[in-house]
Amino acid sequence: MRPNFRIWPILVLLSILSLPLVLMYFYLVVDTVTDTTAGSLLPDRFTLEHWKFLFEKPETGRASIWPVTANTFLFASSTSLIVVMISLTAGYALSRLNMPFRKFFLGGILTLHAFPTVTLIIAIFLMLQMSGLYNTLIGVILVKTALELPLGIWIMKGFYDTVPWEIEMAGITDGASRFTVWWKLVLPQVQPGIAALALFSFLEAWKEFILPQVLAPSGASQVLATYLQNTIMDDRKPDFNLFKSIGLFYALPVILIYVVFNRKLMNIYGGGTKG
Amino acid sequence: MRRAHLLGLGFMTPALFIIVFLFLAPVVLTMMFSFTNMSSGTGISSGGAYEVTERTIRLLKDQGFPETTADRLAEDTYKIDAAGLAAVQADFGKAFAQEIEAELSGKSFAGRRDLERELKRLKERPRSTRDLKKAADLFKRSILNTRFETEQAFLTSVDELDLGLGETETAELTRTAYTGWVWTTENYRLIASLPSTLRAAGNTLIYVSFTLAFSIGFGLFLAVTTFYLPSGVATTFRTIWFLPRILPPVIYVMMWKWMAWDTGFLSSFLAHFGVPPRNWMLHSDINAWVVVVLINGFVGASLGMILFSSAIKAIPETMLHASEVDGANRLQQIRYIIMPQLRWPILFTTAYQTLSLLTSFDYIYLSTDGGPGKATEVWALYTFHTALNNYGGVLQYGLGAALAMVLVVIGIAAALIYLRLFNFNDLVAKPRIEQ
Repeated sequence: MRPNFRIWPILVLLSILSLPLVLMYFYLVVDTVTDTTAGSLLPDRFTLEHWKFLFEKPETGRASIWPVTANTFLFASSTSLIVVMISLTAGYALSRLNMPFRKFFLGGILTLHAFPTVTLIIAIFLMLQMSGLYNTLIGVILVKTALELPLGIWIMKGFYDTVPWEIEMAGITDGASRFTVWWKLVLPQVQPGIAALALFSFLEAWKEFILPQVLAPSGASQVLATYLQNTIMDDRKPDFNLFKSIGLFYALPVILIYVVFNRKLMNIYGGGTKG
Repeated sequence: MRRAHLLGLGFMTPALFIIVFLFLAPVVLTMMFSFTNMSSGTGISSGGAYEVTERTIRLLKDQGFPETTADRLAEDTYKIDAAGLAAVQADFGKAFAQEIEAELSGKSFAGRRDLERELKRLKERPRSTRDLKKAADLFKRSILNTRFETEQAFLTSVDELDLGLGETETAELTRTAYTGWVWTTENYRLIASLPSTLRAAGNTLIYVSFTLAFSIGFGLFLAVTTFYLPSGVATTFRTIWFLPRILPPVIYVMMWKWMAWDTGFLSSFLAHFGVPPRNWMLHSDINAWVVVVLINGFVGASLGMILFSSAIKAIPETMLHASEVDGANRLQQIRYIIMPQLRWPILFTTAYQTLSLLTSFDYIYLSTDGGPGKATEVWALYTFHTALNNYGGVLQYGLGAALAMVLVVIGIAAALIYLRLFNFNDLVAKPRIEQ
């Protein structure tokens, strides 16, 4: 569209409104490599001191960042893997296969998506305590997987819905079974969907805070979200330069995935399925 | 059953398995818990013990139990019985024991002093006062802070105190001293009567309406303004406003804390204008609400912006060109062409966000944690605090579950309404391959 009108008023207005966020992002990055004199707004010395936590042994009572990062990665990738695998089959069944209670399942999954964490977490907390999975990464992975599953199935069903029926019809006519058709013909068609869902679930688990906080609070199964929050809550005198360095380290994979896979992810975020 | 049916059900099995165990089971359990007085005090396993503690006595008094009797429960009683006599015989010899039996058998004393006075009159008593005290202690009978595994053992010990309890009083004492959980509808009565639930409901109303209004309004504003900007600039602004949504909540809220805390950016900046530094996040109720609404509103506006942007992009460009030829200005274009196209996305976003705001609490938990005081404690956070994150004392699983059930009922009702509203039947097209 040709701009046959003056855009600068909009530009100025948007810039002013965006200023708080821009400042937050700017200082999030800059503060990790600089020091600021107290009371001053602008940083005045360059330093790498705030990144020491990556290499040095931490103060007593605080865990080293690397095992925590490994935990977070394990948590996010397992959740993503399980969600994708289960959604792949369930989504196909709901999209294409004739079975009893199909409509009921679909409605049920949409209703489950409306189920908030807080309603389930009390019972799950007690269930995990009884089954001995409390304070383990496995417990958190299972619960996060379950919570992400309704959305995952719904998204996968959406991707299957866009695959033309003719492809399957052709496969069936040539004598392939429904299973073979799914495995050999349909799956390659929904590959973008698989990638999008895998990335999306990975990010959702990577960002998760409440579940690890409640279900696995002890040190051994800490993840980056709880690690950062504990660091913030621990300090009597807040050291925001340190918080931001840890924060940026924690956010890097998220930003990286967003920059590289922007278009793929927009398939899901743009679908308006979470908020 | 046809083979396609079997394949379909087989494909659904893993999902159903997880859903049954991690959705249905928790919901059923939550419902059951909501009818119990389960807490970290009672434990979660069935069966408990009987124990009189300071708290039990306080509770008894609150329930109208006779005060003096309740106080007696806490005091030591000295009772001359066979067990005590045997102990005295072992420690101080047979003569003393026999003398006590002859003189004082069956009597009981409210304090050690009374018993000592009696013992001092006896001929066979030990000579030192220390030994006398020791001998008196052998008759001490107290039930305070003693665990009894069965009701029978508990009642026997209570009888030894000679409190002269009636039947109803004994029943009341037994019920109050029981440490396990019991079935009760008390939680729902509490929800209906506690002032704190009313406040949580009020806070939720404020939170949902303001955040919703902000995120829909501002989301629309962002979508429309960026639509009229050249694509490079538009992408920049959309990225700025999309980031709050994909950044982890802990980092996003940390940036707000850096902005708002008393040593933060805002305070440092305003100090140049003579405003004394303060915590803009928790200084007053109004401060806290503004921060809570903005933190959640920015994230909500991200979602709105993306949905509305793609809806605007779907408008045929020829319509917009035609309106321009007809002399419509920007505002008229927005009012008569863009807004009508956005009716459905707005309805959808409103419906969706109402439900998720109603039940979400992570951003509030991370930022104000319901403070200052309980000014920003919404229902979901109140539930969470009650059941799982109560720094002050016991975790009340039962009450928390009942609070959660209220959200479950609202959630299911809303989901059913939405399914109707958004034409669920269109979503379930019939499979075309029959086998």
